[in-house]
Amino acid sequence: MTMAAMTKDRIGALCTIGPAAAFMVGIVGIPLFYILYVSFNGPHFSPSAYVMLLSSRLFFQSLWSTFETSILATVLSVLLGYPVAVHLARQPARRRALMMIMVLMPFWTSVLVKSYAFTIILGRRGIINTALSCVVGHKVALPLLFNKFSVVIGMANYLVPFVVFPVLASLLAIDPALGRAATLMGARPMRVFRQITLPLSLPGVIAGASSTFIISLGFFVVPALLGGRHDVMLANLVDFYTRETLDWPAAAAIGMCLLAVIGMCGFIATTLRKVRRV
Amino acid sequence: MLQSKAVLNGVNRRNFCLGGMSVLSAPFISRRSFARSGGELVFVSWGGSYHNAVLKGLVEPFMAETGIHVTMVDTPDLAKVKAQILSGNVEWDLFDSPGPLAATGSREGYWEALDTSRLPLSELSVQPTHDLAPFFLTAGGIAYDPKEFPEGRHPRNFEEYFDVRRFPGLRTLRNRVSETLEVALLADGVAPDQLYPLDVARGFRMLDTIKPSIIKWVEATTQTITLLQAGEADFSYSYASRVQTARASGGVSIDFSFGQTLNFLEYLSILKGAPHREEAMQFIAFALRADRQAETMNLLVNRPVNEKAMGMLSQKVLPWMPDINPGKNALVNDAWWAENYAPLERRFKEWTLS
Repeated sequence: MTMAAMTKDRIGALCTIGPAAAFMVGIVGIPLFYILYVSFNGPHFSPSAYVMLLSSRLFFQSLWSTFETSILATVLSVLLGYPVAVHLARQPARRRALMMIMVLMPFWTSVLVKSYAFTIILGRRGIINTALSCVVGHKVALPLLFNKFSVVIGMANYLVPFVVFPVLASLLAIDPALGRAATLMGARPMRVFRQITLPLSLPGVIAGASSTFIISLGFFVVPALLGGRHDVMLANLVDFYTRETLDWPAAAAIGMCLLAVIGMCGFIATTLRKVRRV
Repeated sequence: MLQSKAVLNGVNRRNFCLGGMSVLSAPFISRRSFARSGGELVFVSWGGSYHNAVLKGLVEPFMAETGIHVTMVDTPDLAKVKAQILSGNVEWDLFDSPGPLAATGSREGYWEALDTSRLPLSELSVQPTHDLAPFFLTAGGIAYDPKEFPEGRHPRNFEEYFDVRRFPGLRTLRNRVSETLEVALLADGVAPDQLYPLDVARGFRMLDTIKPSIIKWVEATTQTITLLQAGEADFSYSYASRVQTARASGGVSIDFSFGQTLNFLEYLSILKGAPHREEAMQFIAFALRADRQAETMNLLVNRPVNEKAMGMLSQKVLPWMPDINPGKNALVNDAWWAENYAPLERRFKEWTLS
């Protein structure tokens, strides 16, 4: 590549991603540095907030619970969302548009109302337990509510659309000729799915799963309403320090720790992908 | 056509920028001019039916009587108060908050000193502090379904609430240390007037005994009622006003025991450096007047702090007023919580996890 072409390339990059990058620096980068600054107690530099967190069982248990819940919610959302996306991809465009609106239905209801609905469905006298009692013939009271199970169900109810849309996008990008060719060569539908559809939709799955996971990490209201006493999320802890005790260095330090852990996960994931490619 | 072109030509870059700047800065300019005229007040209060009650009982009559325009903003948030005061950009004037929030703000020095000489002190059952004016009293206590648990089969006081053998069933408690620790100590037989300073270790020991029977450590207040309605809890720690509202909405079998209540205060306070301090003070004096207290509490179903208002309440809400005479009921001490809340809440959260 000649010198001139390289400069042209640079200018091109500057024009295309420059504005977005500048915008992100302004609304994410600068506040983030401010939070880092606050977490070290602002002008009176001190790592006391971090020292406090490192000795706090509450912090580590919440951290663990946050990751556990987020992973479970992500897995469930992918398992539920993927078949929906496959089905949508097979529909004619107009019906697909209608069905996509239906996928967004969980966003239409307030979380407080939904948590009440889940109470009615999952409760000890709820629909599921009553139906099971009828079938079995004696009283059944499965513990479905106010534990990790109900939190994960409640979160997946909100998160499924975040999986469906990216997966749908990558499914629609697959050239239909590939499937036809495979079928002509004698591949059964299952094999077409395994060797063509699934691998080619993986980028969508990865995009959907990672955004679902990141959104899960900040979940707040659903665990508070549907969770049991063990289901404390880090976001609840941030809220506690921000609004109740006004200990902003502690809240900022929790945020920075969460960011560090997520960053580490991202780093490991990209490294693994590179290793696999080599 | 020609005209519009001329207008377009008139817009050059410089006056476009100027115009844009003035449009962007309009809200700040208008706010400042309101501040000078003195006829404004920003009142931070709660949403939903609470908002409507305060609007009808207080805000509208205040605007009619004084000509001061009140802007109501939803949800008192102490973090936003801190941000406004730290940045020196105070937009809120009057803050309506329950004890723990009000007292924490007081400890942090977020409130202006009140001119208590303008308040009807002799009529008040609870005296204001130098920066907090009590607004009303709420009663926390035991809610139950009288159809399922008629007289004699439901706990009437906190001792019975913690007695799982005599009154088997699942219960709720709040997911916070304040209120919960008091309820536990009252259940253990501590005299209501000798609660403070709280015997923390004893309170937690008592909570240990009831932990397995708590179906939900409630975060959102509405769940204290809905869990009872859905049959998830047999007995619920809730609030007299909430139970009354649920009954008034019709078709709900729910009742509240006045055998023992934990009463706590809601306060009004003025933000430090608020632009409309004088108007805010005027509003507080208005809100504590007997007639205003009666009209507002007829809608809110909480106990007025102005004792004269008690005689003006409607017959419908009178039975829902908690007893404040020394006896079985206790009053939450907010000053004590302001000093002890943060470490105890952390201990409580760790306790619930274990």
